[in-house]
Order: sequence, then C-alpha cells, then structure tokens
Amino acid sequence: MKTALINGSPKVKGSASGILLEDLKAYLQETEAVDYGFHTAAAAKEMTEVLNQADALVFVFPLYVDGIPGHLLSCLGDLEAASCKNSRIHVYGIVNCGFYEGIQAEPALQVLKNWCAKAGYVWGGGVGIGGGGGLAQMPKTKSGHGPREPIEKALKALAEAICAGHVQKDQQGQDYRKTVENQYVSVAFPRFLYKLAAQMGWRQMMKANGGKARDLGRRPEDSED
Amino acid sequence: MKLIITDLEDFKVPIEGSHKIIQPRGPVKNCIGCFGCWTRTPGRCVLYDGYENTGIDMSKCAELIFVSRCYYGSVSPFVKTVQDRAISYIHPDFVMRRGEMHHKRRYNNVILLSAYYYGENITDAEKETARKILEANADNYDGRVKEVYFYNSKEELEGIRI
Repeated sequence: MKTALINGSPKVKGSASGILLEDLKAYLQETEAVDYGFHTAAAAKEMTEVLNQADALVFVFPLYVDGIPGHLLSCLGDLEAASCKNSRIHVYGIVNCGFYEGIQAEPALQVLKNWCAKAGYVWGGGVGIGGGGGLAQMPKTKSGHGPREPIEKALKALAEAICAGHVQKDQQGQDYRKTVENQYVSVAFPRFLYKLAAQMGWRQMMKANGGKARDLGRRPEDSED
Repeated sequence: MKLIITDLEDFKVPIEGSHKIIQPRGPVKNCIGCFGCWTRTPGRCVLYDGYENTGIDMSKCAELIFVSRCYYGSVSPFVKTVQDRAISYIHPDFVMRRGEMHHKRRYNNVILLSAYYYGENITDAEKETARKILEANADNYDGRVKEVYFYNSKEELEGIRI
C-alpha cells in the first residue's frame, strides 16, 4: 500500500505542515509513505501521474484566510484535470490553523471534500488542528504527554483510518470502510497563554526587523511610504 | 468605495459608484507565509508584483466583492492568492470574537462582503461551503456578509449590476 504525503505549505523547509507530516509518518509504518510537496502554484505533470498511482493521498497544509492556500488550490485544479475521475484513491486532509480552535479549519476540509467529489476520489476525512502557530516552538515530549498530546492522538487515529481503509474490502470487492469523522483539536496549552505567546512573538520579529512594537499597528496610507 | 477582486480578465459587469477592480494583470506570486506584511512592512505585502497593496485597498473600501469561478466552494486560485496576500488588512495580534480567536483590527472600516460565483455544475455542497467561507471571512475581517450569488457561466454575469 502506497500513501502519498503531500506538504501543501509554501515553505519548502521548516513548516508546521512538515512537522505534522513527520508525526503522522511515525504512525504509518504499515504503509509505504512517500513525501511530496506542492509549494508553488503548478503541479508538474509527472507528479500528477505518480499521485494517481497511490492508494491514499494525505494533504497537510496551513489554513489561509479560512480556506486552502491559493497555490495549493491551483494544484488541486491540475490534479482534477489529470484524474481518471473514477479512482478509488482515498484522500485525507490535515489543516494547521494559527487560531486556537481547530474547528476554524472546517471550511478548508469541506473544500477538499468537494474537490474529491469533482475529481473522482474518495474522501476519507481530516483533522483540523488549532494552535498550529506554536508547533515549531513546542518540544517533542514523551508520547501521550505535553502540549502536542491531543494532536498526536488525532494523527494516530487518522493513521489507523488510512491503513484500515485500504485493506478492508467486502466480498464483492467493495470498500465498506466508514468515512472517518473529521476531528478538530487544539494544543493542550491554555488559550490565553497561546494568545500572549503569539503577541510576544510578533514583537520579537518586529524588533529583529529593526522596528518597534507600535509599528505592528502602522497604517501605511498614513505614512510617508 | 467598492473593491472588486475578480479572476476575469475581460470584466464587463457594470458597477455603481466609485470602485477599484483587482483582476489578472500579469502573474500573481503566492503568499510564502513569511509574515513580512505584519513585521517588516506592516500593512503591505513584501512581494512586489503589482498585487502588494490589496490590504491597503481593503482599508479604503466599504464593500469587498469577489467575482470568481467557484473552485470546490472556494474562490478561484487567482482570487484566493490575492486574498492570501492581503492579510495585512488585519493586525497580527489576536482578539476573542463570539467565543473564537480572530485577529485584531488595523483599520476602522467595516466591510460588507459579497461574492458572485460562476461555473458549470456548482453543487449544493459547494454552495454551502462558499457561504460558510464568506461568513468566516466576515468574522475574520470583523465585517458583515451582504450576499452570495451563483451563476451557471461567466456569460450570465453580463446581466447583473454590482
């Protein structure tokens, strides 16, 4: 069984999506998991052909303005155009959301589900992860502990669904796997502290760029530039 | 002012009142997630390709209107990329609104949002998603939804008035 893990972040390295993919991969040892990346607005023809040979596609991407990032949306269009429309490939999604509430990723997962219907793929379900902005700063702790525990639990459940979905066939060869319910989780870290940590982070970035904290609220049409 | 973001190069819809149209005029670069529009050049995207000032345009508009092919319930890649590049309209800090985390305002204007989707075979599920996304956009911009419309083709748009 071949599972294509597709990083849909525009960042080639150092993305929260990449961290989530690595975490998921640890639970996918029963499958041949291969990494791919959609970091720009066009999906190469060779890649669309390779992905159409997979048993499962897992898209991991950041939530951009309540939806799928524009470049990834463009790649989905390319994949739909290259799809044979009656594929039995199962599709899953993991959305990394900068807000605390994972439920804010719901519309993005719906877009992916709608894409499956148009492109002829089978929607498997997804995970919306809240508090993703802090993932890179959160140390990896012993499994079942620490702020990433709810995320690990959700990814493990998704990995089990991915594996099970491809081995379970009924006597007529039909897939009887139930569609996985979407899961919405947040980091195990108090919301007010997450909010505070983000605010401190923006001020540090602004200072590193030579600005002052108050510049964060600048209105450029009022300024000289 | 009405700000229209459309993927139509030959946009012919009559518009009442003052307006600005952002439409494909050369390639648009995708957002690279650098947050430079919040922490390097606050209010303006750092990718200079002619689409870097959308956040500023949004600060001057009373209505934001998307005219776009429906892409699985989303706006099209061009319109979405322009929208992704305009997060500088809001401030990076978080606030709580109706029990959810959103971004703080940078400006005072309250935007009315509308969307005119076109495309063959837009499904009911896509229509539901499109409405949800516009509601979510309104929450994040701290604005309000005005209307969402669906048309079977871009030719049908020629009969409307914005």
